[in-house]
Amino acid sequence: MSKISLKYSTWFAFLLFIAVVFPLSATENGVATLLGEEIPHGFDPKTGKRIIPNERCLTCHGDEKQQTDVRDDGSPVKIFVHRKEIEASVHGEQSCNSCHVTIERVPHRKAPAVIVGCIDCHKETWDEYKNDLDGKHDRLKVVNEQIDSFMQSVHAQPSKLDQSQTNATCYDCHDAHNVGELGSIQRAEKRLKNPEVCGRCHEKELVAYKTSDHGKAVLEKGDSESAVCSDCHTTHDISSPESDKAKRAITKNCGDCHEDAQRTYFDSYHGQVHRLGYTNTAKCHDCHGGHEVKGADDPTSEIHANNRLENCKVCHTEANENFLTFWPHGDADDRENYPGLWFFKIFMQILIFSVMAFFWVHVMLWLYREVMDRIQGKGFIEDMDKPDIVYFRRFPLVWRWIHGLFAVSTMTLILTGTTLLFSHTSWAKAVVVFLGGVEMEGIIHRTAAVIWLGIFIAHLLIAISNIWRKRDEFKWFGSTSMLPNMKDARDLRDMFKWFFGKGPRPEFSHWTYWQKFDYWAPFWGAAVIGTSGIMLFMPEKTALFLPGWMFNIATLVHAEEALLAAIFLNSVHFFNVHFRPERFPMSTTIFTGAIPFEEFRHDHSEEYERLVASGEINNYLVRRPSRRADLAASFITSVLIMAGLALLTLVLIGLATSPN
Amino acid sequence: MSDFNRRDFIRIASGATLATGVLGFPGLLLAAGPKVVIVGGGVGGCTAAKYLRKLDPRIDVTLVEPKAAYTSCFMSNEVLSGDRTIESITFDYEGLKRHGVKIISDRVSVIDPEKKQVVTDGGERFPYDACVVSPGVDFKWDAIEGYDAEVAETIPHAWFAGKQTVTLRKQIESMPEGGKVIIVAPPNPFKCPPGPYERAAQIAMYCKHHKPKAKILILDPKDAFSKQGLFRQGWSKLYGFGTENSMIEWVGAAGGGKVEAIDPSTMTLQAEIEEFQADVINIIPPQKAGKVAFASDLVDGDWCPVDKMTFESKRHPGIHVLGDASNAAKMPKSAYAANSQAKVAAAAIVARFNGLEPGDPTFVNTCYSILGEEHGISVAAVYRLDKETNVIESIKGSGGLSPMDASDEQRKREVTYAHSWFKNLIHDMMG
Amino acid sequence: MQRDNIMNKTVRNLLVAALTLLPATVLADPTAQALAFTCAGCHGTDGSSVGPSSPSIAGMDPEVFVDAMQAYKADQRNATIMDRIAKGYTDEQIKGMSWFFAKQPLLLKPQKHDPDLAKLGADLHKEYCEKCHSDGGRESDSGILAGQWMPYLEYSMTDFVEGRRAYPRKMKRKVDAVLKEHGKKAQSALIHFYGSQQ
Repeated sequence: MSKISLKYSTWFAFLLFIAVVFPLSATENGVATLLGEEIPHGFDPKTGKRIIPNERCLTCHGDEKQQTDVRDDGSPVKIFVHRKEIEASVHGEQSCNSCHVTIERVPHRKAPAVIVGCIDCHKETWDEYKNDLDGKHDRLKVVNEQIDSFMQSVHAQPSKLDQSQTNATCYDCHDAHNVGELGSIQRAEKRLKNPEVCGRCHEKELVAYKTSDHGKAVLEKGDSESAVCSDCHTTHDISSPESDKAKRAITKNCGDCHEDAQRTYFDSYHGQVHRLGYTNTAKCHDCHGGHEVKGADDPTSEIHANNRLENCKVCHTEANENFLTFWPHGDADDRENYPGLWFFKIFMQILIFSVMAFFWVHVMLWLYREVMDRIQGKGFIEDMDKPDIVYFRRFPLVWRWIHGLFAVSTMTLILTGTTLLFSHTSWAKAVVVFLGGVEMEGIIHRTAAVIWLGIFIAHLLIAISNIWRKRDEFKWFGSTSMLPNMKDARDLRDMFKWFFGKGPRPEFSHWTYWQKFDYWAPFWGAAVIGTSGIMLFMPEKTALFLPGWMFNIATLVHAEEALLAAIFLNSVHFFNVHFRPERFPMSTTIFTGAIPFEEFRHDHSEEYERLVASGEINNYLVRRPSRRADLAASFITSVLIMAGLALLTLVLIGLATSPN
Repeated sequence: MSDFNRRDFIRIASGATLATGVLGFPGLLLAAGPKVVIVGGGVGGCTAAKYLRKLDPRIDVTLVEPKAAYTSCFMSNEVLSGDRTIESITFDYEGLKRHGVKIISDRVSVIDPEKKQVVTDGGERFPYDACVVSPGVDFKWDAIEGYDAEVAETIPHAWFAGKQTVTLRKQIESMPEGGKVIIVAPPNPFKCPPGPYERAAQIAMYCKHHKPKAKILILDPKDAFSKQGLFRQGWSKLYGFGTENSMIEWVGAAGGGKVEAIDPSTMTLQAEIEEFQADVINIIPPQKAGKVAFASDLVDGDWCPVDKMTFESKRHPGIHVLGDASNAAKMPKSAYAANSQAKVAAAAIVARFNGLEPGDPTFVNTCYSILGEEHGISVAAVYRLDKETNVIESIKGSGGLSPMDASDEQRKREVTYAHSWFKNLIHDMMG
Repeated sequence: MQRDNIMNKTVRNLLVAALTLLPATVLADPTAQALAFTCAGCHGTDGSSVGPSSPSIAGMDPEVFVDAMQAYKADQRNATIMDRIAKGYTDEQIKGMSWFFAKQPLLLKPQKHDPDLAKLGADLHKEYCEKCHSDGGRESDSGILAGQWMPYLEYSMTDFVEGRRAYPRKMKRKVDAVLKEHGKKAQSALIHFYGSQQ
């Protein structure tokens, strides 16, 4: 006996049992019989429910001439259902009372309670058909996702006025008799009706929307391409517009149509912090208005020149006229409209490319040369039998501290700054969360900036005072001076010769040309980043004497220069100091202040010769740093290198995934 | 298996029956179907014939009835008032023939339960697998001295509708103005319990228009009768009953209503207390089961005992006794009751032929009486069988009489429903 | 095979259980057919009445049937005899009978009618009655009117109009309207229209 017949045998036995014990064999058991009588035609043989042909319902509800009826209490009620609409709708094959479950017969004897259970039916139907391969019910998957969204939405919450009802339910918005297939005319029509549907409850918003460009396009011109409520507010996942979730969703949704505006917005400071989840910044609707959004030419528009400053003042309470020249959607790629911005971008990019190109070539050749030397047994090799016990004192304590703090604050600035720059990345969002939000990140960035500038200035003062003290003997272009000189140019030339095996390694003085570059680069950086940073730090003060578009330029150069610094320091600087084979894995000199004597002699041979010749060498010889000091320096260096490499990675990810 | 339903069940069950059925009914294999012979072409017999064919067209049904046409007793009182003609209540058996029932015009003399054969006066023998006997009632002629079948030709009982009904009608018509009619009611049990009293009303209905001074006296050996309250109310409303000028009078047992003898020559009735003389006398004698029931040993006393699940005789299996002849307590002896019983018997016979247990029986009786042109009353009952006591009990809370003091409109409607009842009953038994 | 044995045991056990329960729980319960047969004396064989006034119930909507019987049972509908009869049946029996009659073909008999009145009735029906009693009153879910016996229709309408029977929802409005607009004649016209149908 097959499995199926087995099942039915048991059923039959059960039915027999039921039939014997109860004269009414319960209909839910599959066969509706009663006192030996089978259920008549017109009733579902399984459920026992009356089968009501839709035609029967439409006799009254499809009569165009009598679209309204009167309730028992005398009030009018609309009863009309458009026959063709329902037949063409996705529910066209359903029977009326499969949704209107309280209608068990027609004409209905009592005034029917309108009870329609959309959710269960769609869930059950999906559960039933989701494994079907014919794809006929695939759309139900989306429907169920929408249902889930709806259940989370404010519409599914109990109404404040009447706890027995939700704020809105399926058929408040969906005209279930007229749900079109994807791509159908009904759907286009439904789009056009969307504002009217939402406006049934959200009356004020509809009034405002009607005055907007969107509203006019949709309601007056019938342009279904223009924005309707659900384009911005979403269809089902609707939250209170006061919530961060809704604010983010709405801003994102503007970009579905206004792609360029959104791209340029996300390039702006406002857009960057918004994209990181911070909603308390200027968003589309803060400037353009929400429901009443209009073009800039319309004098009632919020972005009309006469009204715009008011918008700025919402946040920037002391904003002045100069704010008006700010380009909220400034596009550095748009040479025609924003030539100044474009120029700065090109300039900065040439700078970045040339610096990086030069130094990365420098790095690659150096690596090549040292590797080749090593293979040939040349170059600086540590003598294991005679470890250095004498070190050369290279940095006094103050410089060691200054470098350390400078490194930490720079890295902090890179981290917090690039999260903004690369706000599109998921790492940026994670970092923001880790740091405690965009506001906290701003505080950290600004604090690090103050420290950074403070150190820079402190260093200048110390350097100046040092020079002042030695003003009589200080040689401005001497071996210990940081000022570039002709030897540096010769060294650079000889270095390249050496790279290509065309000459010996140059004999370097106290400071090599690359060390001098490393030293002077932050002066440029400090000027560019510092100035732009201060401007952005205090927009209202800046605007007192600078036009608004300076913020666009400041934002641009601040970012580009920071990018240059971040990449340079964490790649070229790291190679020159730590990663070239003679130094690998790291040099701790900047933290111990001392360099192994042999290493010094190798790297700075000209200075060594000079010190030996003048006998000054003895002034610089120190004992090897203690083991603890050595380990501590190694540890700190390692951490910083790791952090630097991590930052480099993040920056490169950001660049590689940049939407622009 | 999935579509296993009742029909399949019956098919399989009847298939299974064939094996056992062949043993029980040897004729089955040879003939087209099992044979049922029906004795008597009244309500019970006709209904059984029609419903047997309806429930199982394989069954070979033969109905044996001496009369060529059926004249219904119900609605025959209306012939007395002139409301109807005798022709309007006379029907042929063509309808039954259309249902495939064979009509044999002969009188059954005896049923042989051993040989399972019905024997007619004409000497024919009809073998049967089941026999239905619905002979109606016969009279106890010896109950009233001086009254017999011969006297009844001139002093009619008119209790079998037909010739005597017409005779009685003519006697009333030719009765002098201010004449007197006496109806002698029978003792219980008798067929059509409200019949004598409706008859009085129908005669009064005629007299009211044509002989307003006439009197109708009912002599009754009982102290109570069917629908008594309604009759008294209707009589008084229509015919002044209870007043000095009442057209109808009723003398019950307590008043000496029991008639003991008749002198046909003087048209005088000897009742218990006094003598009554009349212009027209209608005697409805006491009753018992029809002749064939006695001839075939189906009676116990005056009536035929039956198992009320199937109306099968308790004396001879395979023979079902229906209608007035059977002891169907507590159902009255009425046309509707016979019709209802016939269907139960037919279903039981069909079930037996198909190897199934008989279904539980259900019965209804409705009975209308027409007291005037626009005055109808009814009694109704829905019954179930108490299987333990073999008594057909009226279901508690159901049935009963038309309400007293009903509106004229309701009484008028009951007349039209009475006509419907008549037409539908006739149609259901033989149409 | 083993499965079959288990299954057969299940069936057997269920049957045994059913049989042991039988005497204790079963009341005499005739089939719906047997119950319905008893109606024929007034409503005709299988519910097609041959008149003149008791209504046909063949092809009757089962729920309309149950409504009617339950109303009679509860003395909520004006009756001559049906109130007394309906009380003899359980709810299940009434439902069972409703299923039986729903399946019976309705055989109609011609009725004497006034063709002019019937014509007027047809127009009135279309305007006032057709939505519920659609298809010219043939639709069964609101009670079959087409071909129904005219005296019965007359009684029913009179009971409605004179307040002896509760109107179904919305019917009163329509009846009031048609009587107001066309007078007492409207009732006869409608009845002659329904009576004229075959």
